[in-house]
Amino acid sequence: MNFGQILGGMDVGQILKNLWEDSGFLGFGLTDGWKALIMIVVALFFLWLAIKKKFEPLLLVGIAFGMLLTNLPGGELFHADWWTGEQAVKTGVDYLEVLRHGGLLDILYIGVKTGVYPCLIFIGVGAMTDFGPMLSRPSSMILGAAAQGGIYLVLILAVATGMFTGGEAASISIIAGADGPTAIFLTKTLAPQLLAPIAVAAYSYMALIPLLQPPFMKLLTTKKERIAVMTATRKVSKKEKIIFPILVTIIVSLLLPSVAPLLGSLMFGNLLKECGVTERLSDTAQNALMNIVTLFLGISVGATAIGATFLTTKTLLIVILGLAGFVLATICGLLIGKLLYVISRGKINPLIGSAGVSAVPMAARVSNTVGLQYNKSNYLLMHAMGPNVAGVIGSAVAAGFLLAVFG
Amino acid sequence: MGLMLFSGVIDKTAKIGVVDALLLALIGIVIVFIVLIALMLIVTIEGKIFDGSEKLQKAHPEWGEKLAEVKSKMMFWKKADKAAAQPEVQSEPLAEGTCGELKLINTDERDAAMIMAIVADSTGTPLNELRFKSIKKMEVEEK
Repeated sequence: MNFGQILGGMDVGQILKNLWEDSGFLGFGLTDGWKALIMIVVALFFLWLAIKKKFEPLLLVGIAFGMLLTNLPGGELFHADWWTGEQAVKTGVDYLEVLRHGGLLDILYIGVKTGVYPCLIFIGVGAMTDFGPMLSRPSSMILGAAAQGGIYLVLILAVATGMFTGGEAASISIIAGADGPTAIFLTKTLAPQLLAPIAVAAYSYMALIPLLQPPFMKLLTTKKERIAVMTATRKVSKKEKIIFPILVTIIVSLLLPSVAPLLGSLMFGNLLKECGVTERLSDTAQNALMNIVTLFLGISVGATAIGATFLTTKTLLIVILGLAGFVLATICGLLIGKLLYVISRGKINPLIGSAGVSAVPMAARVSNTVGLQYNKSNYLLMHAMGPNVAGVIGSAVAAGFLLAVFG
Repeated sequence: MGLMLFSGVIDKTAKIGVVDALLLALIGIVIVFIVLIALMLIVTIEGKIFDGSEKLQKAHPEWGEKLAEVKSKMMFWKKADKAAAQPEVQSEPLAEGTCGELKLINTDERDAAMIMAIVADSTGTPLNELRFKSIKKMEVEEK
C-alpha cells in the first residue's frame, strides 16, 4: 500500500520526510553538528551552575539560554557570519540585511555590536554606586589603578602564547579588569569572534572571587598587616558627590576620548543618583533599565557561543588567561596595598588592595570577610569600597587605552 | 612602535611581538595611574576646599550671615516669592495645652478633622497626644 496516497491524494510520506529534513535533529549529523551537541551540554551545565550554584545567575541564565538557542540546528536565530564573517570584517556589518532577515538574537545582538548594552548597564551601575568611600579617602584610587596591572600582565602573556592577534590579546586581557560590561564593550570592537568565551570567563571568575582571592590575600600579607584597623574617614558632602561625576566625565573624556561612552554612562547614572532631583530616573536606571538590558545582553552574548568557534584551543587558553588575570590583578592590588600600609605607617590595611579589581561589591566584601577573620571588630567594607569603585574607573580607563591603540 | 601607539595605526587583526606588548603594557599602566592620580589630586583639592569653607563658616558665623545678605540682595527676583511664602500675620499666643498651630493647605477644616481622627484611631494614640504640623491636599498627576 502506498502510504503517501491514503489521505485524498496527499503525499503524507513526503510531508513527513520534509518535516524530518527540516527538523533540527538532522542538523546534528552535518559538519560541526557534534560541536553543537557539545555546546548544548555546556549550556545545560552553565544553567545548572547559575540555577543550582547561583553563579552570577542574573547574567549566566541568559548567557546559557542564548547558548542553548543558538546551537539548536535550524532555528536560524543567530547568524554568526553576518557579524564576524569575512564579509563583515571587510566591509562592515550589513545592518539592513540583519533587520530584514535576521533572527531574534541577531536583532538583539545589535545592542552588543553597537556597544549600547554595556553603556546602558553602566548607567545602572553608576546609579547604584556610592563614590563616597572613594571621595573620603582619595588615596584608594591608587589601589584601583594598581589592580589594573593584571590587565597588562595578561596582555603580555596572551601575546607570548603566539596564538592571538593584538586585538584578541587586548580583549582577553580586559577579563582581569573583572568588569563584564567593559570586557564586552572592548571585545565587540577588537575581537567580536571571541565575545562569548571572554564574557563567560569574565562573569564566571567574578562569581568565583570569594574563592579565588582569599588564598592570595593570606599568602601575601602578614598577620600584623591583616589586623590593621582603619579609622573613619571624613564625611563627604552632597555637593562633592554631585560635582564628582561631572568632573570625572570632563577630565577623563578629555584625556581619553575613547572611554567617554563607558565612563560617561557610569557618571551619568551616578549623577542621577546623587543630584537628588531625579529619583524616578535613578530608580529606573537601577532596576527596570538594568534588568531589561541584562536580559538582552545575556541572551545575545550567549548566542555568539557557536560550537564551531567556541570549542577551540583558543577558548581553553582564554579560560586559563582569564584566571591568571584575576589572580594577577589581586596580587598587584595587594602589593600596592602593602606599600601604602608602610607609607601610611599601618593606617591602611593592605587587604583592601585586592578590592581594586572592580567586581563591585563582591571584591570589597571579600576584603571585609578576610579582615574579620583576623580581627572580629575590624570592618573593612566601607574602606574597601573606595578601591573597589576606583577599580571600575581604572578598568574603563584601561579599556579606553586599548581601544585607542587597537580600535 | 611607541610613537605609533597613539596614532591608532596598530592593526587589531595582526599579531604583535612580546617586546611591543611589554611597551604597550608599560604605557597602559602608566596612563591608568596618571588618570587616577590626577583624579585623586582633584578630589583631594575639592575635599579641602569644602572642608575649609565649612571650617571658616564655623569660625566666623557672621561671614555666613553677611554672605546670605549679599546673596539675597543679588537674587532680587526671589524676594517676591519669599514674601509670598512667609505668613504675614503674626498669630496670637496659643492657649495652654495646645500643641501649636496646624497649617491647612488646600484642605478644609472638616477633612482635616477627619484625617486627624483617622490617624489617632489607626495609631491608637489619643488625639491630644498627637501633633499635626500641616495637612496638604496632594494633587495626583493624571497619566
